[in-house]
Amino acid sequence: MTRSSNLEHDKLKEIARQLRLDALEMTTRAKSGHPSSCFSSVEIVAALFFGGILRYRANEPHWAERDRFIMSKGHAAPLLYAALATAGYFDRAELLRLREMDSPLQGHPILDTMPGVEATTGSLGQGLSLGIGHVLGARLNQQTFRVYVLLGDGECQAGQIWEAAMAATHFKCDTLTAILDYNKYQEMGPLSREMGIEPLAEKWRAFGWHVEEVDGHDLGALIEKLDAFKQIRGKPQILIAHTIKGKGVSFVEQDYTWHGRALNTEQAQKAREEILCN
Amino acid sequence: MEILSRVHARNLVEWAKDKPNVVVLSADLTSSVEIDLFRDTYPDRFFSMGMAEQNMLSFAGGLAREGFLPFVHTFAVFIYRRAYDQFADSIAYPNLPVRLFGFLPGVTTPGGATHQAIEDIAVLRALPNLTIAEVGDATEMETVLDAIHPIQGPVYVRMLRGEVPRLFPKPEPFCLGQARVLSTGTDLTLFSSGLCTEEAMRATQALALRGISIQHLHVSTLKPFADPAVLAALKQAHLGVIAMENHTIIGGLGTCLAEMMAEAGIGKPLIRLGIPDTFLHGASKPYLMEKYGLDALALVRQIEKLVGTSLNITRQDLADIRLESVHSQAKAEGL
Ligand SMILES: Cc1ncc(C[n+]2csc(CCOP(=O)(O)OP(=O)(O)O)c2C)c(N)n1
Ligand SMILES: [Mg+2]
Repeated sequence: MTRSSNLEHDKLKEIARQLRLDALEMTTRAKSGHPSSCFSSVEIVAALFFGGILRYRANEPHWAERDRFIMSKGHAAPLLYAALATAGYFDRAELLRLREMDSPLQGHPILDTMPGVEATTGSLGQGLSLGIGHVLGARLNQQTFRVYVLLGDGECQAGQIWEAAMAATHFKCDTLTAILDYNKYQEMGPLSREMGIEPLAEKWRAFGWHVEEVDGHDLGALIEKLDAFKQIRGKPQILIAHTIKGKGVSFVEQDYTWHGRALNTEQAQKAREEILCN
Repeated sequence: MEILSRVHARNLVEWAKDKPNVVVLSADLTSSVEIDLFRDTYPDRFFSMGMAEQNMLSFAGGLAREGFLPFVHTFAVFIYRRAYDQFADSIAYPNLPVRLFGFLPGVTTPGGATHQAIEDIAVLRALPNLTIAEVGDATEMETVLDAIHPIQGPVYVRMLRGEVPRLFPKPEPFCLGQARVLSTGTDLTLFSSGLCTEEAMRATQALALRGISIQHLHVSTLKPFADPAVLAALKQAHLGVIAMENHTIIGGLGTCLAEMMAEAGIGKPLIRLGIPDTFLHGASKPYLMEKYGLDALALVRQIEKLVGTSLNITRQDLADIRLESVHSQAKAEGL
């Protein structure tokens, strides 16, 4: 789907809108969770799951050749669950049980608790290393699937990310793609104030990665870049997606105090209207 | 019973006022671990270390070598799971004065298994040179800093946050190595720690009305574990001993007691109430306490087993109990 038709693009936009609404409803209902962290990754996840990037069979979640998707920024679990339900892995009704007792939809993703959840994440910094394990496993098993890992920018302050960055290049993991949700904010504020990570693209390049940057809310551009990555040989690739934390809800956008806070029903109503108008 | 909020936030600012060598370290959880007030009051003594706990712990070791008293703050799991090696080699082995405050013990977070510290005491108790304290109420939160201040080496404090009850009167501070005697009795001995003590107090009051006499001790020092009052209480237990803790039953308070009993040759039944050997589900605290048997009713049921009769105590009976803060029944010099 390199040059998506207008029709397909409209459909994709509609899916993205619904994912944003889902993440909102789920966290508001659960009265906890990380809606602003979900909102910033919506288009990235929509492009991966519904823009023809990931190969998967929702009715065959353990299909050996499926591409692996690891939500390393595990606090965006509601978005992952919404995408999996939309893709048909499980019933959408399950979404309303986020963070409920005995619901498989835990606050952070847990491997195999729901079909399509590929990794246990939430303790930030581990997903990229898991991804490399999948890539080398595939190599030994002579499989051809690709591995996608979604990282947070605050998460990239963790040393393990850079251990993994080094290893991925060393092992020439060209079937590994990282997408970095570069919303410039972590829990306590802007990264530039809390713990700067710039120059970021240069860092990844210096570690031997193929690096591209993109507007992380531009579905067409995301798909084009991710599609092109499939042709890269010999190197892991990272797509630095410039995003807006809280994207789509004006009073949440760029306001880091919303990190880890659910909207109450009134705020959610306002947010819903904005998302629907966008 | 008084409920206080943000106890640590206010207390730390006040306590550190005249201690310029106290510096506070955060790993992107400044508000969540109640050190935002410290940051705003003493910006020069506050370090934002980013989402990078391993670096934070070794960095604390360096600061301590330069004469500072680093107060490391984050969720407990990110101290003892993520940065255990750094804890061991940069802090514990060189025996440096670093204070590590671990938040979200056991059932206190709905975040699920990746955020719930269910085995921190088990893991850290095996680390030489380390002192381990756990607070059970607001008074202990307000006084633990003084209690551990004389210690030259590292101290891990299992901490609470948000709304916390005052179970113990303000003038009765945290005393390192000394359990609080909350009720005296001869039928059985009950030890509780952390937030389980509130539930245990509910149960003991209901049981007292049914004529069961319980020696109840609140334990807030897990290492070293050598309180003579604890040993004496173990010896006097008639029907048996119960431990109740917000921690896996492997390696925590119950295990400390088992070791002490075995070493002293005390051959009595020991019931360990705590998190069974499993990763927890994420849910609200009351729900988890009920589900995993950490609440007053679960304790009553265990005591019924020891006593050998049903006591007809319902969940409602326990909820109806009005808790007042209790004076320690220990001898005055023990306080
Ligand atoms: C190892 C670890 N330390 C701390 C946390 C607590 N925490 C959860 S989200 C978060 C901020 C993450 O920021 P970022 O990666 O930028 O994510 P986003 O902005 O997309 O929410 C923190 C510190 C954690 N989950 N894991
Ligand atoms: Mg971010």
